[in-house]
Amino acid sequence: MSAADTSNGQQSQSELELLRARVAALEAELVEVQARTNAAIGQWQERAYWLDRLHLDLNRLMERPGANELRLALRAVRIVFWRIRAIKRRLLGS
Amino acid sequence: MPVANGNRPIGVSVVIPVKDGERYLKELLDALAREAPQEILVIDSGSRDRSREIARAAGVELLQIEPAEFAHGRTRNLGAERTTGELICFLTQDATPCPGWLEAYREAFALPERVGAAYGPHLPRADTSPMIARELGEFFASFQAPGAPAEGPVIQRQGDPSFLSNVNACYSRACWEKIRFREVAYAEDQTFGADMLAAGWSKVYAPRAAVLHAHDYGAVEFMKRYFDEYRALRETSGHVEPFGVRASTRHVVREVAADRRWMAEQGVGGAARARWTARALAHHGGRRVFSALGSRSERLPPALHSRLSLEGRAGNRGARSASGSSAPEQPGMNGSPRAHEPKPAPDPPSVPELPAAGRVDRLLQRDDYEVVARVWREGPAPLLPPLPGASERERLRLALVIPPFKRGSGGHNTLFQIFSRLEARGHACSVWLADYHNEARELWPAVLRHDINEFFRAFGGPVYRGFDAWQGADVAIATGWQTVHATLTLDQCHARAYLVNDHEPEFYATSTEHLLARDTYLHGLHCIAASPWLRDLLAERYRASADAFQLGVDHDIYRPLPVARRRDTVVYYARHSTARRAVPVGLMALGELYRRRPDTRIVLFGGEELLYSTFPYEHFKVLAPAQLARLYCEATVGLCLSLTNFSLMPKEMLACGLPCVELAGVSAESIFGADGPLELAPLEPRAIADALKRLLDDPAHWGERSRAGIEFVASHTWEHATDEVEAGLRHALRERAAGAAA
Repeated sequence: MSAADTSNGQQSQSELELLRARVAALEAELVEVQARTNAAIGQWQERAYWLDRLHLDLNRLMERPGANELRLALRAVRIVFWRIRAIKRRLLGS
Repeated sequence: MPVANGNRPIGVSVVIPVKDGERYLKELLDALAREAPQEILVIDSGSRDRSREIARAAGVELLQIEPAEFAHGRTRNLGAERTTGELICFLTQDATPCPGWLEAYREAFALPERVGAAYGPHLPRADTSPMIARELGEFFASFQAPGAPAEGPVIQRQGDPSFLSNVNACYSRACWEKIRFREVAYAEDQTFGADMLAAGWSKVYAPRAAVLHAHDYGAVEFMKRYFDEYRALRETSGHVEPFGVRASTRHVVREVAADRRWMAEQGVGGAARARWTARALAHHGGRRVFSALGSRSERLPPALHSRLSLEGRAGNRGARSASGSSAPEQPGMNGSPRAHEPKPAPDPPSVPELPAAGRVDRLLQRDDYEVVARVWREGPAPLLPPLPGASERERLRLALVIPPFKRGSGGHNTLFQIFSRLEARGHACSVWLADYHNEARELWPAVLRHDINEFFRAFGGPVYRGFDAWQGADVAIATGWQTVHATLTLDQCHARAYLVNDHEPEFYATSTEHLLARDTYLHGLHCIAASPWLRDLLAERYRASADAFQLGVDHDIYRPLPVARRRDTVVYYARHSTARRAVPVGLMALGELYRRRPDTRIVLFGGEELLYSTFPYEHFKVLAPAQLARLYCEATVGLCLSLTNFSLMPKEMLACGLPCVELAGVSAESIFGADGPLELAPLEPRAIADALKRLLDDPAHWGERSRAGIEFVASHTWEHATDEVEAGLRHALRERAAGAAA
């Protein structure tokens, strides 16, 4: 085996090591991303418990005729209620 | 005055069904005395108030029937049979005739027509709400012919509305004898009206034959009443009230506006009008919602029925009326929608009725083994090329594929004791439900996740139903025979493993399930078995690559507690629904023990059902872990029989210092040894009774077993089990790499 061959072999080995290290780093990154994603989805599922328990798909529900109007009406009622409460507080000083 | 034959006026009998009707009954009978009919019959169906006293004091005839005998049609037929008048009037207990009522009916039957029945309007009482008062007026006004005098009678023939209401109606005896009230659960008057018109009789709306009548309910009671009415209407006529958000909103707005106009016309003041407007909004909105719910009640959970119903009736078709039970239905609330919810009566069926059909929206539960067929047809999905050093990486992406579960599922508890700990060690963990039979179709993912956390152990990752969101994994882990073929179809995996809790083909007689369970060991999955016995079985019988782990014990719960130990108590894990627990044999053994030792206290737990026995026993059904520990610390001997892989129960009993009898020659012996902490006995009742009796009668032997048990299980922890499973998963990755290299 010539010196050139030895040098090429060492270089290939070195490149292989580098590639393996890079793959390992990418795999570790993938696990980290997956773990974070899992945690985030788990948290969302925690928050969605009652919706799922009641079989409520809010997106589909809000697409139904009148649903958005109802939401706007409730919001208007809420605003009125808040204003009345604010005025009451201002007048009563509490 | 109209006369029957030119000499005497037409005889009129009045029949009033009553139950707890004291509120208006005296007023009604006083008014009738003024009208002077030929006879008055009160039929009381079990009043618990002063109704009967009031009737007796008024001097009217009183007929008492059992509450169970009451039915709207039947009881009115009885009333007609027990009276003699040529005209028979029916009133409800809360309908008070106005002056001129009887005369108006006599005039109606004197019309030159073949008049079979007549009815008069219902006028509001002084305290009737504006909504009901307006509707009553509008409803009865609708029977007036345009341009006809308001007080004049209106003749209705075939093709006209068949409305008839026994709140206030009068029948000719000849017509009643021909038609009679049907034995229907509801709307006997409406069906009579339709029947008589079809038979060629006429009926008359007599505006002057008025009664004061209105139900005085609160807003919630009104809604419940509408639920009842529309449920009954659905049951009797099949009517389903349409419901849409926009249409209902428009309807409510229209009705409230009409109420406000009516109040203005009646001179109702501003503050009262505002108050009634709010009530009207709730009334009309609630009516739309509850009437829609009532006519779709078969889709609601039965438990909800009695809550939504004013009658308190659960969902069985016609159950209340048919039984005439003592539920608080009043004759005055009977039948048809009547004045409060005017509806045209359904035409009576002219062909025989079909029995009630069971409703099937969708039948999703089925034996769906398509995924098995796919694996057999196409083979498993290819695995990703192996990565050097993958098995040694600190953190792995793990996907656990599980079958559906319930609270108390021992296999799932084992899975999550371990998987939760793997997650805590930093692995990226997700859970996937494989549901061949759609058993968990009602459980959406967040609910599944919540149940896992509640039933088993804290898990922070996501839970998926099915595999639409499949993202790949380092190791996909099958966990029961029902999950293996689905796991084999998952791609983007570096390896697959099989966490085997038991030898599941033994759960089934010769069947598809038996064959499929056996098939799961033949696809080259690396098995991680829940005992060395099971590992050896898999390796020997199926040539499967297998590791083993030991079930752990939660020593925070299962430990000796400061509870007085009894010397006479045997506790038996009698889970009869799990056939491999050999419960009939256990019961025979306890029967034998009781025969020999009648002062033994026997306690059964583990299942909801009461079991046949030849001995007295205490039954705890299903206990929580802490309660089980308490029971184990109080008892003298435990009994648990395992025909396949051993149960976790004996270990938990031992951890509490409770010696336990198990079966010899099966898995338990391989775990605990032939002369280890467990008292082993062959599967034979007398031998099991011998073993139990030995531990009950020999304190020294008992003490030895108790100490040995505590020592034995001390090292059996879930952390240790997790170590073993984690090693098994890494082994699966190594095997995959070795297999690819070969």
